[in-house]
Amino acid sequence: MDRFAFYPGCVAKGSCPELYESVTLVMGLMGMGIEELEDVGCTGAGVLSAEVSDPINARTLAKAERLGLPVMTICSTCQGIIGAAALRLQDPEYRSYINREFLAEEGLEYQGTTEVKHFLWVLVEDFGIDQVRGMVQRPLEGISISPFYGCYLRRPADVIERPERKKYIETVTEALGATNVDISGKGKCCGFPTLMINEPNSLAMTAKHTGEAQDKGADAMVVPCPLCHLELDGEQEQAASAANRTIEMPILHLPQMVGLAFGVSPKELGLGRHFVTTSKVIAKLELAEAATAT
Amino acid sequence: MELTLNVRRRGGGALEPGLQAYQIEVTPETSVFDALVKAREEQDGSLAFRGNCSVGFCGDCTLMVNGKQVVSCLVTVGKVQKDNEIRIEPIKYATVTKDVMHDVNQFLWDKANSLSAGIVSNSTAAATEEELRPVRTAMRCTMCGLCDDGCTVIDVNTEFKGPAALTRIFRYVFDPRDTRHVERAVEVGEINGIWDCVHCWEASEHCPVGIDPTHRIMELRDRSVRLGVKSGRGNRSAARHYDAFERSVEKSGWLDERALAIQSSGGLIRGGLKMLPTGLKALRRGKATLMPHPKRPGAAQIAKLFERYRQVTGTRH
Repeated sequence: MDRFAFYPGCVAKGSCPELYESVTLVMGLMGMGIEELEDVGCTGAGVLSAEVSDPINARTLAKAERLGLPVMTICSTCQGIIGAAALRLQDPEYRSYINREFLAEEGLEYQGTTEVKHFLWVLVEDFGIDQVRGMVQRPLEGISISPFYGCYLRRPADVIERPERKKYIETVTEALGATNVDISGKGKCCGFPTLMINEPNSLAMTAKHTGEAQDKGADAMVVPCPLCHLELDGEQEQAASAANRTIEMPILHLPQMVGLAFGVSPKELGLGRHFVTTSKVIAKLELAEAATAT
Repeated sequence: MELTLNVRRRGGGALEPGLQAYQIEVTPETSVFDALVKAREEQDGSLAFRGNCSVGFCGDCTLMVNGKQVVSCLVTVGKVQKDNEIRIEPIKYATVTKDVMHDVNQFLWDKANSLSAGIVSNSTAAATEEELRPVRTAMRCTMCGLCDDGCTVIDVNTEFKGPAALTRIFRYVFDPRDTRHVERAVEVGEINGIWDCVHCWEASEHCPVGIDPTHRIMELRDRSVRLGVKSGRGNRSAARHYDAFERSVEKSGWLDERALAIQSSGGLIRGGLKMLPTGLKALRRGKATLMPHPKRPGAAQIAKLFERYRQVTGTRH
C-alpha cells in the first residue's frame, strides 16, 4: 500500500509540530501518499471512557473506509486506542450497536474493513526496509540510538497482531546505520499518562529510562509517540532533578531520525524545537559525514 | 536428565548471598517447583521458597526463572532449561524473606485487603449467567502476583495497589447483586488506585490465566465514569484531568493541550502558575501558541456523540 488516510492526532498538530512536519516530509521523500483526515476527533487517548471513545473512533474508521484507504497514525497511543477499537468493532453485534446508536444519525456506517497502521509499520511493511536502506544519504554511523517504544506498539498482543513488530525500531535504526543501545524499560510506560495525576510516579519513570540510556552511552533516544516525546524531552529536566542526578538525553521523533539519515537538514526536521538540545548528536553526525566526504 | 538449579540465596544467618548450584536428576516434564522440592528434600533442607498446591491453583510459587516471572509449578524444566541449567531468583518487587521466598502479605495481600471485598447485597435474587460472565473471568485470578511483578507503576512506586488487588475489586463492581458500586468506585479511585494505572498492558501480558488485568482496570475506570465517580475524595487531580480532557474533546473535537494542562493542574491561578515556565519554554520553541484553540471541522458531530453516549449509557455528567 502506498497511500494512507493520515490521522496525525492532537499532539502532532499541537505541541509537537516538528513531528507533523518531519513525517509529511519523509512520506513525501518516500513517494508515499497521505490524505489527512480533517473532520475526525481525538481517540480519547485511554483517558476517555471507551463507551464514548469507541463511537468517536468508529466514526474515524468509517470515514477512512469511505476513502478506501488504511489509516496511518504517527502516535503510539492513537494507534493503540484506535487499533483496540477497530478490533472490538470486528464483533458484528458490537459494530451494529455502534452504527445504529451513534453513526447512523450522520449517515455513516462502519463495515469493519479499515486497517490501522503506525508510521513505523508502514515504513517496514509497506515501504520496505531495503527501500529505506536505499534512501540513506547520510548514514547514522557512529551514532548510538536507544529505541523507546513505550506501551502501545508492543502490547496488547491481539492489537499488535504481529510479534515481529516489537523489533521494528531496531530494524530501522540498523538500516540507517546507527548502533542500537538496549535499555530495560524500552517497552515500558514513559510516564506521560500519569503526569497530571501522579507527577512523582511519572517523573520517576522518565528519569529511569533517560538515565539508563545515558548510562549505557546512547547519543539519543528515538520515540514513535509524541506523548513519549512530551514526557521524555519536555519533563526530562524536572525528572533528573527529582532523581537528584544529571541527565541530558536528546529525544528524536522516529521520522526525524529517518529524515536525518535521508539527508534532510536538522532545521527542516524541527530539531531546534526540542527542550533537550539535539546539538551534540547533530554535531556528531555532521562530523561523521565530513569524515566520510574526505 | 541431569539438571543444575542455580538458586539465588540470601538471608538465614551465615549464608553468603549469591547463586548456589544444585545438581539433580529429573525428567523434562518435571515442574520447576517440583525440581526445587527435590533439591530441598535430597540436598539442602535450609533452601527456602514459597509453594503449596503444585497444580497452578494457589498461585503461591511465583518466581523469576531465567529472568522471567512465572508460576513455577506451571513451567516444566524441559521448556526453560538452557544447557541443562536454570537460574532461579525471587520476583522483582517483593521483599525477600529468605533465598527465593518473598513476603506475600507485603507484596499482595496487604494491598488487596486494604480494599473492601465481598458482595454486599440486599436481596436473595440470583444473577443470571450472562450478567456474571465478566465477573467469572476475573474470578479465575489465583493471586499469583505476576501482574504486579510486571507492573510499570509498581516499578517506581510499590504503594500502588496494583493490578491484582484492583482486578479483585472489579468482581464486585461488575456484580449486579452488589449494592456498593459507587462506594467501591470511590475507594479504588483514591491515590494509588485505578487512576494511577498507566494502561501499559504489562499486567495483561504477564497474567498466566488470561484475565487481562489491564483491561479489567480500564473497565473499572469506564464504569466509575458511568457512575459519576472520576476519582476518590483524596485524589481530585484525577477527576480534574478527566473533566478537562472530556470538556476539550467535546467542545472542539480534539485536545486543547494548554487548557488541559492548566485545568488538570488546578485551574487558572494554581495551574497557570505551575505551567508557566513550561509554557514559556514551549512558546519560545514554537511548540505552543497564544492563539485561541481552534475547533476541528467535525467538532459539532463529535459533541453529538458525547450527548448520545450519555443517553445510551445513562452516564452522569
